[in-house]
Amino acid sequence: MPMLNRRALLKTGAAGIAASTLASPLIAQNRSIRIGSYGGYFEDSFKTHVYPEFTKATGIEVESITQPNSSDWLVTLQQAVAAGNIPTDISLFARDTMIKASRIGDLIAPLDMAKITGAGNLDSYFVFEGNDGPQGVGAMSWFSAMVFNPNEVETPASWADFWDSSLFEASLGLGRNYNAGLLDFTAATFFDGAETMMSNDGIVAIIEKVAELKPNVALWWTAESQMEQSMKNGDVVAGQYYLDVANLMALDGFPIKPTFPKEGNLQDYGSWCLTAGSDKGDEAAEFMNFSSEPSTQALMSRKIGTAPLVDKAMTDLTDDEFNFVSGAPAIKPAYEAYLDNETFIKESWDKMLAEV
Amino acid sequence: MSLTDDMHAQGRSAAAAPDGSAMLRRVGLFVLSAIIFIFCVLPFGLVLAISFGRKIDGAGWVWDFTLENYQRFFVGVLWPDEVTFLYLQQLGYSFYFAIIASLVAVLTALPFTLLLTRLGRSAQALWLVFIMASLSLSEVFIVMGWDILLSNNSGLPKLFKETGLTQWLKDTGYFQTLRDWGLANPRNVKFKTSDFATILTMSYLVWPYAVILLYPALSRIDPALAEAARTMGAGRWTVTRTVTLPAIRLPLFGTTLLLFVFLLGTYVTVTVFAAPNKHTTAVAIYTNIRGANLNAPFGAAQAVMLLVAAGVCLYLGHLFNRRSEAR
Repeated sequence: MPMLNRRALLKTGAAGIAASTLASPLIAQNRSIRIGSYGGYFEDSFKTHVYPEFTKATGIEVESITQPNSSDWLVTLQQAVAAGNIPTDISLFARDTMIKASRIGDLIAPLDMAKITGAGNLDSYFVFEGNDGPQGVGAMSWFSAMVFNPNEVETPASWADFWDSSLFEASLGLGRNYNAGLLDFTAATFFDGAETMMSNDGIVAIIEKVAELKPNVALWWTAESQMEQSMKNGDVVAGQYYLDVANLMALDGFPIKPTFPKEGNLQDYGSWCLTAGSDKGDEAAEFMNFSSEPSTQALMSRKIGTAPLVDKAMTDLTDDEFNFVSGAPAIKPAYEAYLDNETFIKESWDKMLAEV
Repeated sequence: MSLTDDMHAQGRSAAAAPDGSAMLRRVGLFVLSAIIFIFCVLPFGLVLAISFGRKIDGAGWVWDFTLENYQRFFVGVLWPDEVTFLYLQQLGYSFYFAIIASLVAVLTALPFTLLLTRLGRSAQALWLVFIMASLSLSEVFIVMGWDILLSNNSGLPKLFKETGLTQWLKDTGYFQTLRDWGLANPRNVKFKTSDFATILTMSYLVWPYAVILLYPALSRIDPALAEAARTMGAGRWTVTRTVTLPAIRLPLFGTTLLLFVFLLGTYVTVTVFAAPNKHTTAVAIYTNIRGANLNAPFGAAQAVMLLVAAGVCLYLGHLFNRRSEAR
């Protein structure tokens, strides 16, 4: 028995050595990167449709990291980096969170744009210049759109319709957080848009206008799922919701329909950012290149429902496919005001909600 | 045994038997103190320290020593130009919901527990196991359940509509009253968002605790007392009022206080079921700390104030207990 054991040991040992010598060139090529995206359907679609294509094109393996969303991930990232960890190589951040991350410092690393030539396909607005140079490359965009229940109400033509209590008394589902979009919709509908948000008086005027809407709101939602349930359950008959998810729900037969009112819907976008201290800068550059290609942008539009950041003409998206994920006009969030005046806006907004 | 007694005992045993057992005890005591320090004192100290930090608009926060967060809690950020009692109002609603829900839970659990103690032993055990088991449901789960039960297409409003109750309310004109109270939209009754749904869910949340806390005291009541009162001609209500209730006054009060403090921090129920004008300090703390704001210092200051308020309530409760015991 001992002989057999020794022999078995020798055998496996030899096999092991053989395997390791054989495998060593493979290991050298076995590059990998960790990429964060918002958990759930969104991340799953990335794992099934986008990452495999990237691996096929570059040989770089992707480990998917779940982010709860953009803003809460910033807290996690901040704590992890403070503790000396790098929870992911690439994070997906919305613009406001990315600017915050850049201002906090030592969270997201500057990018070597010479290696990310593909970013030239995007509008320069989507390459974010932080304090230390370029710190984010646009990934995809999404709309927060007007939605309604076609069985209960006619298609609203304007956001102003929501103020009409004869149509929407105690029937709307709108975002609870001050930066969820209602301020931008109201500013675009009744004021001069983002410009009005630049002064305290302007903000107060917009918030007073929003206050008139309160009797018509049945749900002030914070989590996406609240709005989804309430539309399905008939607790609300209209409101604001993500364009792509609304379209998917409609495909599943639920009574929800997104629409572009004449003032437009809110368009925000996500960026890929490299975590400071990550040694995967080269792999990250390759991924950002890949993501900026028109074919990848089209792939994401088809499989995930995000709007492309490149011109529609550069992609092979059909009109129907494009209208499913995008539309016009687009309202840009008043990022500057939200960032530079956030404490004032938040308190004024909360005060408005707290008034009976 | 008080702590000093314990230490004396330790000293004695150490003098009498300088063997391993005294050493072991000392190590045990040290480990326990360390655990309490690491898991209770340290986090609390951290919250306290953060509450003096400073928020930078458009970025995160930094360590500092400023009382601005506490000032903001009382008068708002724009003081002295403008005053708002928003945060005191939120603290008020924390108390409002917690007081009513804990009272509702205790007052409904009391008759149930009284009846429970009169059942046979095995029946009692079965009920208690069932109630204990229901404690394993998390708040999120319970809120989801009630959310569905109160939904328009699958819950109580559907029942109202199908049974014709909604139509009856509309015919008799009470429907308009419900609309004025915010309990209806033009189509049907609605219970989200409402105080009704919030308090219902909050009391449901702590109801098993109420039963479990009241059970030992109620099961110790000597039935002979009530029987004696009955033989002397007292009615059922008189017996409850003059014999049973006074006998369980302290556990009743203690249970309510405990549930009240527990409910002060309720988060999910309030976010889902309470109207935004009645949101509580717990909700405000979360919205400040989460990434959309990154204002941990103000969140921490609110948490400290909530804790102070809860502490004051516990202290008053303690005083009240002592006074009624002395009587």
